[in-house]
Amino acid sequence: MSRDLLFGFATLAIAVVYYALTSMIPPSDLADPIGPQGLPRVYAFVLAALSILLIVRSLRTGRTPEPRTTAPRNHQSARVAGMLLIGVAYILVVPYLGYLVSVAMLIAVTTYLQGGAVNGRTLLVALSGAALFWAIFIWLLRIQYPAGLWPSLI
Amino acid sequence: MAFAYLIPAAFGGVAWGILGGALPGISPSITMALLLPFTYGMDSTVAVVLLASTYVGAEYGGSIPAILIGTPGTNAAAATVIDGYQMKRQGKAGEALGISLYSGFVGGLFGLLVLVLLTERLSSVALAFTPSSYFALGILGLSVIASLAGDSLLKGLIAGVLGLMVATVGTDPVTGLNRFTFGSPDLLSGIPPILVMVGLFAVSEMLVQTNAPDWEKATHESARIRFPTPALWKRIAIPQAIGSFIGAFEGMVPGAGGAISSFLAYNEARRWSKHPDEFGHGSPEGVAAPEAANNTVACTALVPMLSLGIPSSNSAAVLLGGFLMHELVPGPMLFVQHGEVVRGLYTGLFIANVAMLIIGYIIMGPCIWLVSRPKPYLMAFIYALVVSGVYAFQANLFNVGVALAFGVVGYALRLFKVPFLPMVLGVVLGFMVESNYRRALVLSNGDPTTFLRNPISAALLATAVIILAGSLLRQAKTRADAR
Repeated sequence: MSRDLLFGFATLAIAVVYYALTSMIPPSDLADPIGPQGLPRVYAFVLAALSILLIVRSLRTGRTPEPRTTAPRNHQSARVAGMLLIGVAYILVVPYLGYLVSVAMLIAVTTYLQGGAVNGRTLLVALSGAALFWAIFIWLLRIQYPAGLWPSLI
Repeated sequence: MAFAYLIPAAFGGVAWGILGGALPGISPSITMALLLPFTYGMDSTVAVVLLASTYVGAEYGGSIPAILIGTPGTNAAAATVIDGYQMKRQGKAGEALGISLYSGFVGGLFGLLVLVLLTERLSSVALAFTPSSYFALGILGLSVIASLAGDSLLKGLIAGVLGLMVATVGTDPVTGLNRFTFGSPDLLSGIPPILVMVGLFAVSEMLVQTNAPDWEKATHESARIRFPTPALWKRIAIPQAIGSFIGAFEGMVPGAGGAISSFLAYNEARRWSKHPDEFGHGSPEGVAAPEAANNTVACTALVPMLSLGIPSSNSAAVLLGGFLMHELVPGPMLFVQHGEVVRGLYTGLFIANVAMLIIGYIIMGPCIWLVSRPKPYLMAFIYALVVSGVYAFQANLFNVGVALAFGVVGYALRLFKVPFLPMVLGVVLGFMVESNYRRALVLSNGDPTTFLRNPISAALLATAVIILAGSLLRQAKTRADAR
């Protein structure tokens, strides 16, 4: 299956699901002639039409096999997934470990995943980086990041 | 109020603005809002100069990460990514930053000139805008998609519609009903464009870079900021003029803002360029036009704010808050009762634009130094900056998840070779298009000809059609030439 064909089917599915979701919008006595569902439904129809056009076009011209060199291999996909997992893990741990520790861990693990060595320098960079971000965002910009469980332990 | 106080206020505001604008996720309005409480005890003229200078600095600062890491620090810098980042990848980061700084300076001075000359006179234009005009303005912005779509107009249009769909999430602009929120209070106010942009630009780029070989390091020579040579100055003069004029007009139109003007400027610069093929591949003109435009907007956005009290952007709204905090009520009487504040603001903005040139040069060095760091460390710091900046936007971890989700979307779009700039445009303009389309129909009792009967909206729609037709003709010609 060609890349365009796959994308066409994916966006067609999005159009169908999105259209179905518009029926969940409750009616309103204040509704104008178009209503809250009006334009979303138009968007769904337009997306479906464009997707079908793309599918038809790729079926007509997609006989030629595409070069597979640009598609990510398994280990590459795993590294991408790893990067995302680091972000998700950060969201999960920051309320408990606090900003400083969480961001230091994020820097250290990301450096490792990106091919950096596990050594004292990486640790130093992670700790100094976390301190720098703490200084910018908390000390300078005074943004209230989660402090974690540390204040309750003191 | 001594003139001398304006100088540190302008320099301080610009420095603060560049710092804030350069941090992805920290918008100019947030940078200004963070400063707002500190201006309470200040002299009113110094306070408004400080805030306005922050706006000027932040608009320029947004281009620094756009060029160095391919992530716009502000919405308005999104168009700068296209060629600025390509220039950086070609080892021309210093040149791109120099063009950005110089073009911002030119645009800022032009915007200030327009502000001084037309503030009161042109206020009637903004007054004449109706919902149908705003709708037409949004359509004009969306018409740029045709040019941003690259090789596939079809895939570009799909991306644009996906963006419009994202913009429908949240509270309905007319009835106040919740749409596509799935019961989550975090989605009630919709998905902020900045999260979509951070996800599509920064997170997806990080994911792509995960498997990419180490990027080219800027040499000491190439990393040094380079102001345009006379030959380059001549080449970017027309794009700067295009950007300045578009920025001047768009800045005065409430709701338009820097993002629309920079994309329009980019598009027009490409249309008028002698080297249109270089656009998207590291064209200096592609950096000059949007940077001139968004810095012009930073000044001309104050026209409706000062003359009518209508903030044309979030940043102008924060500045309006600063005015009101000092009991300065924008409008015709402001020029009569507080003429010295208005004159002080004009002077301060001139100093701010000069300061931008100086401070921008000084701050650039450390920024360029960053580009040469080992990739694993740089990527880790960018990731930390993204999650920190996104959280700082509304102090909400949910936003970090949203940005990551859009990172996955951006990564998928890259895999399918779909341009995601049309999606960004759809997200940015979606609310404006829908809300004004419906309001216009309500006001006209459902008569769709209202969009053609209003001369402003008719002119804007006609321009959109011309842009679309021009893009289609250009694509058809390219295909014919290829055969």
